[in-house]
Amino acid sequence: MVTVEFFGLYRLNYHMKSIEVEASTVKELFQKIYEVNPFYTVKELKHSIVIVNDVNFNDLKKYRTPLKDGDRVLIMSPASGG
Amino acid sequence: MSISYGAYAGKVLKIDLTSQTVSDYPVGDEDLKLFLGGKILAARILNDFIKGPLDPLGEENVMVVSSGPLNATGCPSSSRFNVSAVSPLTGLLTSSNCGGSFGCTLKRAGIDALVITGKSPYWVYIDIDADGVKFKDAESLRGKGTSETQEAIGGKGSKLVIGPAGEHLVRYACAVSDERAAGRGGIGAVMGSKNLKAVVVTGRKNPAVYDAEKLRKIKAKWTKRLKSHPLTGEQLPRLGTAALIASMQQKRLLATKNFTDGRFSGYASISGEELAEKFLVRNKGCISCPIRCARVVEVDGKPVKGPEVEIMGLMGANILNDDLGQIIKWNYEMDELGMDTISASGTIAFAMELNEKGMWDSGLEFGKTDNISDVLKEIAFRSSERGDKLAQGSRKLSEEFGGEDFCIQVKGMELSAYEPRGAVGQGLGYSVANRGGCHLNAGYEVVVEGLGLTINPYTVHGKAEIAVMFQNLMEAVSAGGNCLFTTYAFFPFFLFKRPNSMLSKTVNKALPYLGGPLHVINKYPHLAHIHLTSMLPHTKALSAATGMKITMGDLMRIGARGFNLERTINARLGISAKDDKLPKRLTDCEQVPGDPRTKVPQAKLKKNFYFARGWDSDGMVKPKTAKYYSIDALDDIGARPVSGAEHVVVK
Repeated sequence: MVTVEFFGLYRLNYHMKSIEVEASTVKELFQKIYEVNPFYTVKELKHSIVIVNDVNFNDLKKYRTPLKDGDRVLIMSPASGG
Repeated sequence: MSISYGAYAGKVLKIDLTSQTVSDYPVGDEDLKLFLGGKILAARILNDFIKGPLDPLGEENVMVVSSGPLNATGCPSSSRFNVSAVSPLTGLLTSSNCGGSFGCTLKRAGIDALVITGKSPYWVYIDIDADGVKFKDAESLRGKGTSETQEAIGGKGSKLVIGPAGEHLVRYACAVSDERAAGRGGIGAVMGSKNLKAVVVTGRKNPAVYDAEKLRKIKAKWTKRLKSHPLTGEQLPRLGTAALIASMQQKRLLATKNFTDGRFSGYASISGEELAEKFLVRNKGCISCPIRCARVVEVDGKPVKGPEVEIMGLMGANILNDDLGQIIKWNYEMDELGMDTISASGTIAFAMELNEKGMWDSGLEFGKTDNISDVLKEIAFRSSERGDKLAQGSRKLSEEFGGEDFCIQVKGMELSAYEPRGAVGQGLGYSVANRGGCHLNAGYEVVVEGLGLTINPYTVHGKAEIAVMFQNLMEAVSAGGNCLFTTYAFFPFFLFKRPNSMLSKTVNKALPYLGGPLHVINKYPHLAHIHLTSMLPHTKALSAATGMKITMGDLMRIGARGFNLERTINARLGISAKDDKLPKRLTDCEQVPGDPRTKVPQAKLKKNFYFARGWDSDGMVKPKTAKYYSIDALDDIGARPVSGAEHVVVK
């Protein structure tokens, strides 16, 4: 299982703090999240800040980043600065 | 001398507390054209008084309370005013910005700035209204907290008050207007040293602006822009500044255990999201602010101001505390006692490490929270030996007990919650900022080094030039009377809404390599003879409000003039390159062991910065730089002839 935590406006808007899902890639993870909570559209998730085990997914293989059991993923709404 | 520009009230008052007399301070149009208002005008006025090192808590220290031209014009987020003096914490010039109502009301009372000199022989508060200036006995207000003092004074006027910390000369005591603080640098202690408990001002007449119709249109567009921007329209209203905690954690920017680390395992419990979900009653804004970033929370059933990101980091991760409820309570207590939350928290964390290392047993320990409230009171009232020592700030503690290498301050001022080994440009800014370890006067470069944009946080490329540009812009925006958050709208929407797009990634990759072009613009700002209306409407708003012709280049030049003048004054107070330094923990120790990028390459960054600023290798403003900014031959404003009616002092 992959543990996913949400931060930023996504969390406030969609009322989801964290979930555990099975997924082998970030792309698949987005789809699973959408199935659990349809507020999180895949399109929106693609524009979010995604951190896989403390590394931004842009520095990995982005949507093709492999995931395995025990991985931790953080998803933050895009406007995360301030 | 007289003031003919629009949006100004047209008068600067000098109030001498020793003799209880009031006179005009003859600031004129040329001064305003060069120094605009706020902290920059304050520096110009203090330039007349500061001729060399002085005792910040002595009668000779002068305090300037100054508004900006956009105060009381109805422009968005434009109620910020400034308080400047020589800081009891640093011994250098400090400028403290505040969002309370005092600045706007001062303008409505027909006054642009107050120059407060001398020392009252007994505790007083100054009451300014249409009848004149009254010096009122404040003995009955002594010992009262900041909100209690404001309530006790009563009436409809705006107040600027101190709490017990200011009365007892805590070196980082603040002054409070409504519930907003002029926090940094110990302005509260300066007021306390003058036996000045409060200043009250009553006024109702907005100053006339140069072109009201034009300004009205600008205000409407500006407000719309702020409301639609991802940061100022969504993030800050919903989550406040505390939204940053999660990002800081991910970017190794969350100061943890007195800056030994940039990540805290308990960060999720002290995040902005946790604050919004469990504690937020509602959000709130300063006068005329559409952003409304302030949090309202409850303490003991009473609605009070909620915490900002700085205290959430410094009283959370930095002391290994994951109890947000406690942080909210301490934040309220510090506001009431009247002390700067950043310096108080930083000093406490340093004391904790001194204790851990067996260098000073203060009873303060990392992760131990049950004695913090007591300690805060002891500091404010200096009611114990421990409180008395902590009231001096961390630098004085290190002089007595050692630990200089891990005393997290610059020039005596404690750093904010951003761990600079995760953003070396921010580290540069901390080390060269005029008021000391202040994240804002530093240039707040961390906002492009991970908290917003994501340029390489470890490279030295472009960092000095970005710091100079941001410092200049922030100086000028602040001097105009605006909140610095209005500058966030400078960044195009797509950078925030589409962080994974190729365009965003390209901008982030390229920005550090634009140091050359930025250097040219920084050095010759008059070349930027343009307006960036949609991104920074400040220039057009200032032009319409005052009648001055202010372009982007003019704005940057005013900011640079302010920064260089502050540095010139600080040089007179004894500052040089040797003082522009971070503690060794941040420059010599890797934050991530084995990763040499994770420490601040201070020498290289400073060299670049001095070059970018037009300073010499000892950090002094070069004569040709001073001449370019017209600060090389300033006269004494106070020595100019004064014309006009005498001021009424009501006994």
